[in-house]
Amino acid sequence: MNKCYDCNICTSADKPLEEFIAGLPMETAFHRVESQSTKCGFGLQGVCCRLCANGPCRITPDSQRGICGADADTIVIRNFLRAVAAGSGCYIHVVENAARNLKDTAISGGALKGLGALDRLSQKLGIFEDDPHKKALLVAEAVLADLYKPEYETMDITKKIAYDPRYHKWEELGILPGGAKSEVFKAIVKCSTNLNSDPVDMLLDCLRLGISTGIYGLTLTNLLNDIMLGEPQLRMAPVGLHVIDPDYINVMITGHQHSIFVDLQERLISPEVIKMAQDAGAKGFKLIGCTCVGQDLQLRGAHYTEIFDGHAGNNFVSEAVLATGAIDAVLSEFNCTLPGIEPICDELLIAQICLDDVAKKANAQLINFVYEDRERISNEIINQLISSYSTRRGSVPINLLPEHGNTNTLTGVSEVTLKAFLGDTWQPLIDLIVAGEIKGVAGVLGCSNLVSGGHDVLTVELTKELIARDIIVLTAGCSSGGLENVGLMTPEAAQFAGPKLRAVCEQLGIPPVLNFGPCLAIGRLELVATELAEAIGIDIPQLPLVLSAPQWLEEQALADGAFGLALGLPVHLGLPPFVTGSSIAVKVLTEDMKALTGGQIVINPDAKESAQLLEEIINEKRAALSI
Amino acid sequence: MKRIIIKEEECDGCKNCSLACMQAHRTNSGTLYDLNLTDLANESRNFILAVDSGYAPLFCRHCDEPECVRACISGAMTKDPESGIVSYDEEVCAKCFMCVMSCSFGILKPDRATSQKVVKCDFCAQDGYDPSCVKSCPKKAILIEEVTA
Repeated sequence: MNKCYDCNICTSADKPLEEFIAGLPMETAFHRVESQSTKCGFGLQGVCCRLCANGPCRITPDSQRGICGADADTIVIRNFLRAVAAGSGCYIHVVENAARNLKDTAISGGALKGLGALDRLSQKLGIFEDDPHKKALLVAEAVLADLYKPEYETMDITKKIAYDPRYHKWEELGILPGGAKSEVFKAIVKCSTNLNSDPVDMLLDCLRLGISTGIYGLTLTNLLNDIMLGEPQLRMAPVGLHVIDPDYINVMITGHQHSIFVDLQERLISPEVIKMAQDAGAKGFKLIGCTCVGQDLQLRGAHYTEIFDGHAGNNFVSEAVLATGAIDAVLSEFNCTLPGIEPICDELLIAQICLDDVAKKANAQLINFVYEDRERISNEIINQLISSYSTRRGSVPINLLPEHGNTNTLTGVSEVTLKAFLGDTWQPLIDLIVAGEIKGVAGVLGCSNLVSGGHDVLTVELTKELIARDIIVLTAGCSSGGLENVGLMTPEAAQFAGPKLRAVCEQLGIPPVLNFGPCLAIGRLELVATELAEAIGIDIPQLPLVLSAPQWLEEQALADGAFGLALGLPVHLGLPPFVTGSSIAVKVLTEDMKALTGGQIVINPDAKESAQLLEEIINEKRAALSI
Repeated sequence: MKRIIIKEEECDGCKNCSLACMQAHRTNSGTLYDLNLTDLANESRNFILAVDSGYAPLFCRHCDEPECVRACISGAMTKDPESGIVSYDEEVCAKCFMCVMSCSFGILKPDRATSQKVVKCDFCAQDGYDPSCVKSCPKKAILIEEVTA
């Protein structure tokens, strides 16, 4: 058949996927890893500065300061703060749109599928109102009001969502965030040319951004989306490339903003629109999950069984999904929409439509989502989908991977469904931890990258190591996509767990790796941590709970990590976040942070060693609790 | 015998070769991430010089008729007739630095941290004579070629 483009590709923990990509006739990110393998050492250490025309300046034994006089610490931490601010900005954009969509939905009397979620959140926010739409409006307005506050006014909801002991710690450290958008603005100012040069002051800003990112960008985005789109429900779901059914008009969705798809999801299953698909020769429409918005749809999949065929894979699987030839359009509204999909879309005649200009792809059509215009926009998209299907099918080769993935991945795990599963109380989980049947909890979060041993390699190996040590793993982000496709979220994966965790999983019929869905759901893990700590009567850093973003990729992940540190949790990273050129950054992040918030960064690229380090931390926390 | 060949016009001045050299010769173990860039003891044995036309990568030539070997009174500088590599033995060195004075290309220099030894390319002998600088160049501006003496 097709000649393979280049068989020298990056490895994956997902061998069928790796083999599929190696045989593809087009270039993907997997093919580009080798030619980008020579890395710049100054960049790796974060000591390259190009903030002014005198640069780029780099630190060497012969040149220990930039021309302006900035030393390695200033250069590194300025760069780091920039990255955290950018990452925070991304998540704040997402929560802003979620709140705006909820507000518009409430005003127009649109469907609110998660009334329970609305009740719980409004209660937390101290909003009392009988009419659900009025209540939803007040909730959305409260979130927006906080986001738009100036930097010098503390946001109100932080106190209502955050765990009390944490809030007081943040207050004591002077890192309670002002308006979330203004915090990003302030940070960008601070790290511009010849402004702040104080490493510790800038690291405290990273923590402040971590809090606004975590409480608003993560936690609240989930809760607002639950109100609009329905709450997660536990269910077994299909995952992997086999979910693609070529008999349908298939749409790959990428991004992080599930609420943008509310109208379209409903329209695509309406009889008159299905009829349009049938007239074009297809059975109907299907959304194919990819990246975190796919995870979000999967999490709430119980409400969308008709339109959603399943989650195909994470960020770096998107090119392979398109290469099957059975995708007729890409609808993207945010990252992680790789530029690498553009030539593939061109070659395979796949329509590209961007619904938010922050993620406008070079050769895509931009249809900026505006709530009031949702019906017109949905119509326009539907017409494009049908037109694309009619044009390309028959002329583009189909190259499916029908055996990939599995059909029984447990999805729909959330702070609410997990607690409900345990009998509406955390006590059974606490008892298991106290008894040592479950040694501890690890959140394996964040992205996938192609350099930590390969695609999902460290994520999968570390997770296997952790569960073998009777540490239960909770996931959120693209790590979920990799772990589910290799089968670690099926009940059968209990066989890979240590004897104690295995017994627990088999008794309950659950996998040892629980899928909370998208990276946004790191906020849900924070709620779990808060509720566990509350139930036991301790602060979050005392929990035998560790976080790992083994294959962190993006600036957003750094903002997530800053939230983890603010919560006082150990955060493991497979690769350093371009900070090792600064001894102050390394010392503060890996050591001094323990005394500040209780958190710490642990950096290790090896799965076994990392698991060992995380297990030791868990054992220390257990010992401190006398369990 | 092998020589490092330089294509000056390809050099972008990124100094990856210098970092690779520092990493290859550091005295403690670790990765490029934790190489101490401000420690004089980690100085590079190759240099990138900014010149009018761009950048000039300066590397030890391991000369056919090495002035450094000729000038060395203690026998610390030797040329291997087989491989052509000019080697420096710190233990034997009398620290007269006549090699530094006589190097035709101005490559050799006393070390900055102690001024007690000569900083000189060893062709990554510890790595099987497979120079790290060459492997690290993203532009392939430095490469290994087999030459006849």
